[in-house]
Amino acid sequence: MQLDLKTIEALAPDQASLGAAAKLTKRSNWPRLETNEQLGLIWGECQGSGSNPYRVAFDTRDHGYKCTCPSRKFPCKHILGLMWIGATAPASFARVDQTPEWVNDWLGRRRKPGQQPTQAPASSEGKSIDEASRPDESAPVEDAAAAERREAAQRRRAEDTRSAVSAALDELDQWIADQLRLGLAGFVDACSERCRRIAARLVDLKATALAGRIDELPARLMALRGEERPDAAIRELGKLVLLAKAWRAAPDDAELKRLVSTSETRDQILANPDAVHVESDWEVLGEKIVTRRDGLVSHATWLLDLKSSAPRFAVLLDFFPASAGKRSGAFAPGDRFKARLVFYPSRNPLRALVAERLGDAAPGNWSDFARAGDPLAAYASFQDGAPWLTDCPIILPAGAIALDEKDGAWWQAASDPHGIALPVAGSVSQTLLGLDLAATAALWNGARLELLASQSNMGRLDLS
Amino acid sequence: MNELEQAGLARLRDGWTSGGAMFEFAPVSWKEAATASSPDEQERRLLAIAAQALDVALRPAAPKTLKRRPPLPVLALPMLPDRLRPALRAALKFAADARLKTRVAALVASRGFVLHPMDWTPAASSQESPEVYAPWVDWQAGADDEKQSRREHLTAETWDDFYPAARRSALVDLRRTMPALARTLIETKGASEPAEVRLALIELMRFGLNADDVPFLKSLSTDRSGKVREMAGRLLARLGEHANPTDGGSEDPTAELAAFIEEGKSGFIRRRTTYAATKLKSPAQQARRADLFASCYFRDLASHFGKTESDFIGAWQFGVDDNADLFLVRMVSVSGSDAAVACLADMLVAAGGRLVLLTLQLMLRLDSGRKRVLVRQILNDAQNLAALNLVDGAEAGWLEWGDLANGKTLSALRSAVSGDNDVTKRSAEQYLEAIGFLANPVTAEKLIGEVVAAGLPPASPSLGLLRLNAALAENPSQTDR
Repeated sequence: MQLDLKTIEALAPDQASLGAAAKLTKRSNWPRLETNEQLGLIWGECQGSGSNPYRVAFDTRDHGYKCTCPSRKFPCKHILGLMWIGATAPASFARVDQTPEWVNDWLGRRRKPGQQPTQAPASSEGKSIDEASRPDESAPVEDAAAAERREAAQRRRAEDTRSAVSAALDELDQWIADQLRLGLAGFVDACSERCRRIAARLVDLKATALAGRIDELPARLMALRGEERPDAAIRELGKLVLLAKAWRAAPDDAELKRLVSTSETRDQILANPDAVHVESDWEVLGEKIVTRRDGLVSHATWLLDLKSSAPRFAVLLDFFPASAGKRSGAFAPGDRFKARLVFYPSRNPLRALVAERLGDAAPGNWSDFARAGDPLAAYASFQDGAPWLTDCPIILPAGAIALDEKDGAWWQAASDPHGIALPVAGSVSQTLLGLDLAATAALWNGARLELLASQSNMGRLDLS
Repeated sequence: MNELEQAGLARLRDGWTSGGAMFEFAPVSWKEAATASSPDEQERRLLAIAAQALDVALRPAAPKTLKRRPPLPVLALPMLPDRLRPALRAALKFAADARLKTRVAALVASRGFVLHPMDWTPAASSQESPEVYAPWVDWQAGADDEKQSRREHLTAETWDDFYPAARRSALVDLRRTMPALARTLIETKGASEPAEVRLALIELMRFGLNADDVPFLKSLSTDRSGKVREMAGRLLARLGEHANPTDGGSEDPTAELAAFIEEGKSGFIRRRTTYAATKLKSPAQQARRADLFASCYFRDLASHFGKTESDFIGAWQFGVDDNADLFLVRMVSVSGSDAAVACLADMLVAAGGRLVLLTLQLMLRLDSGRKRVLVRQILNDAQNLAALNLVDGAEAGWLEWGDLANGKTLSALRSAVSGDNDVTKRSAEQYLEAIGFLANPVTAEKLIGEVVAAGLPPASPSLGLLRLNAALAENPSQTDR
C-alpha cells in the first residue's frame, strides 16, 4: 500500500473535509477494513450518518475512489478517512485475496486510468493535514448564561414548530373534510394536483414528514385498479385523520413527531435510553427504492432477525437526493450478517440503525415460524398499536402464486387454496408461478402484498 | 364486522365517492363513537372508523377463478451451488442475447449443474438449450404436471404423454442408440401429426441416418407437405438415393446448374481437371444459379461431371466466385454424404484464411472432433476470431492452454486489451466470452491471468464466463449439491 499523508492533503477538496476525515480515523467507525495488495485496493464500510454503513473503496495505484455516501464533495470525508487509515495504520486492513462483489462492480464500471480526463494536478495549497489532526480548540467554552440562552432559544424554536405543525394539521383536517364534501371520485381523478397543494402547505408549516407521505399518496392510489381506488382513498385519508389526532394528543411522542415533522438524528437515537438494542443475526430480505415527488430517493432495506422465534423485522431507511444518481446500498438481498441494531422508539419498532457490525452470519433457512393460520394476524396486531401506519412486514405460510382472469397475481395459501388469498403488487416472474413457496416475507399495505423474499423448493428467492 | 356495519360501510363509501355528508347514514354504533360538535369533525371521525374497518375487518375477496401453474419440474441435474450464482449472474448479464445466455447454461450443464430458475429459464420455443432443460421448455409451453410426471420411456403408448421438447429430446436419444425403433415411432405416430410437426420429426432422422432409413424416406415422396417431401429428398440424397427413381432424379435442373460451372485443366506435368463458376452476365442468372444450387443434390451434380463427391470437391476452384463457393458448401451441407461433408470440412480448414469461415455452413453435419479442429484453426490464425461465436453446437469446456498459447490468439488478445482502440477492445471482450465457453477450467484461469496482466481490469464483465468456468472446476462438495 503506497499512501502518504501528502497525497491525502493534495486530494482533499478543502480543509473542512480533512477535518471531518480526521474524525473518521477511529477504528470503531469502520466495521470492515480490507485490502487486496495484489490489486492495490483498499476498501471498507464506514458507519456514517445514514442507517446503512457507507461502502468506500480506493485504488492506491491510480487514486481512483468510490463511496456510497450522498456527499457532493469529491473525494468525500469517508474516502479521505479510509486513505488516512491506510497511510497511518495499514495493519488495520485485513488482507484478502478476493474482492467483494460491490468492489468488482465498481472496478468493472470505472474509467481506466489512461482514459481519465486530464485534471489539473491537485494542490495542497490552503489545506493542512497537521491542522486537521489537531483537536478542535477553537470552539469557545460556553458559560452558564450562554447555555441557558441557547436552551431557551431551542425551547422557543420547539414551541414555534409545535404551533406551526398544529396549524398544519388544522389545514389538513379542513382539506380532508373538503375532499369528502367534494367526493372521492373527483379526489381520485385529481389527487396528484390536490395532494401537491396541501403537501406544499404542510412543508411551509413544518409538517415535512407528513407532507412527504401525502405527496406519495397519488402513486399508491394509482398502483391499484380503478374500482379499488375509492376504498384506498378512504383508508389513506382515514389514517391521516388518526395520525393528526394522535399527534394532538401527544405532540412530544417521538414516533408521532417522526411521522409528522422531522426525524431524530443518528446520534440522538444512539444516545436515547428508550431505544431498543437487538444483537442478532440478520438476513437482508430485500430493498425498496422509491424516487419521491419531492426529489428524494428513499432507500429501505428490510431485514429479518434470524435468531428470533417469532418474526422480527427491521428496516434501515435512508434518504438521498435523486440528483446524486444511482447509489448502491451497503447490503445485497440475501446477505446475512451479525450486528447490533438500535431501533427508533416506536409502538411497533421497525426502523433501525446498524450500531455495530459484528461479522458475517452463516447461510441457512429461516426459523420455522411460518405456520398455517391467518397470515394477516400480525398486520391486525400492528394496526392495533399504530393504526396510522401503512406498510407492515409479515411472514406468510406455505403457499404459491396464482393468476386471476386479468393476469393479476395473488399469493394463495397452500393449506387452504380456496380460502386465503392476497393480491400481489405489480407483475411477477412467470417462473415464480411454478414454485412452491415454503415461507414468504412481504409487506402488506391493506391492499397489496409487496414480495420481498421466499424460501422455496428451489432455495431462497429474491423477490424485491 | 356485522352485516349492519357492512351495509353501513357500503352506504358511506357510495356517499363519499359522490360527495356529501354521510353521518346520518352511518351504523348506529359508529355514529355514537363519531359524535362531535362540528359536522366536519363527525365526518372525519367516521372516515377514521371506516378506514380501520376496511383495513382490518375486510379482506380482499379472492376470485374463484385463480389459476395456478403446475410445479416447475425438478431437473435431472443438481442446482448450481449458491456460492457460484453471483458469478453466473455476471456471466448472464454480459451475454448479449438469448443464444449467448443459452451458451452459459450449456457450459454449466456440461459441468453437471442446472441454473436456478430465477436466474434463467429456456424459452418455450427453445431448441438450443441443453437437453436436461426439456421439462422446463415444455413447462414454459404450458405442459401440465400430470403428464410430466407420468412419462417414462418414449413408446407408441407413451407418445401422447410427452410434450414436444421432451419428445424431441427422447427421439434424438433413440435415434442415436436405437435408430430403427425411433424411425418406427416417427413413421407410426408422425403420420397423424400436422405438417409442421411432421417436418420437425422427419428432420430428426438426420441423427443416426443410415441405409435402413431409405424405404421410409422414399415413402415420404407422396407426403401431402412439400416441405416434408423436400426434407426427405435431402436426407435420401445424403444416403446416395433419390426420392423417386422412376423420374431419373432431378437431371434437368442439375444439367442447367452444370452449365453455370466450367471445366478446366491445371498443372503442367500432371494435368488434372478443375471446376469453377462461370462468369455471370446478369442478376437474373445469379438468381437462377442460387435457386439451382439450393434445389439440386450434390451427388447428382458430381455425377453429371462423372466424378465422385470427394473428387468434385477436390477439383473445385475456391476463390473464383465467393457466392458460388458459398452455394456449393451449402449444397454439400444439405444433400452431400457424410463423407463429402467431412472431405470438404477438412479441405477448408486445411486451406485456412477466409475459407475456414465457409466451414461454418457445415456445422450441423460436423462431428465434435471436426468442430474442435475448426475452433483450433480459428484460434491459430486469429484472423477471424468473431467466427468463434458462430460455431453452433460446439462442445463446452475442452479447449486447452496450448490451443491458445501456440497460436496467434493469445498475443492478439493481449495486444487488444492493452491498446487504446476501443473497438478492438470491445471485440476482444466478445472473444473472451466465446473462449470462456470453450475453455477447460485451467485454460480459463490462465487466460484471466494473462489478460489482466495485459491491462484488462480484473473486474471486467467480459471475464464473467471465464471466471464462472474456472470456478466450476472445483469439485463441489455433497453439501453444495
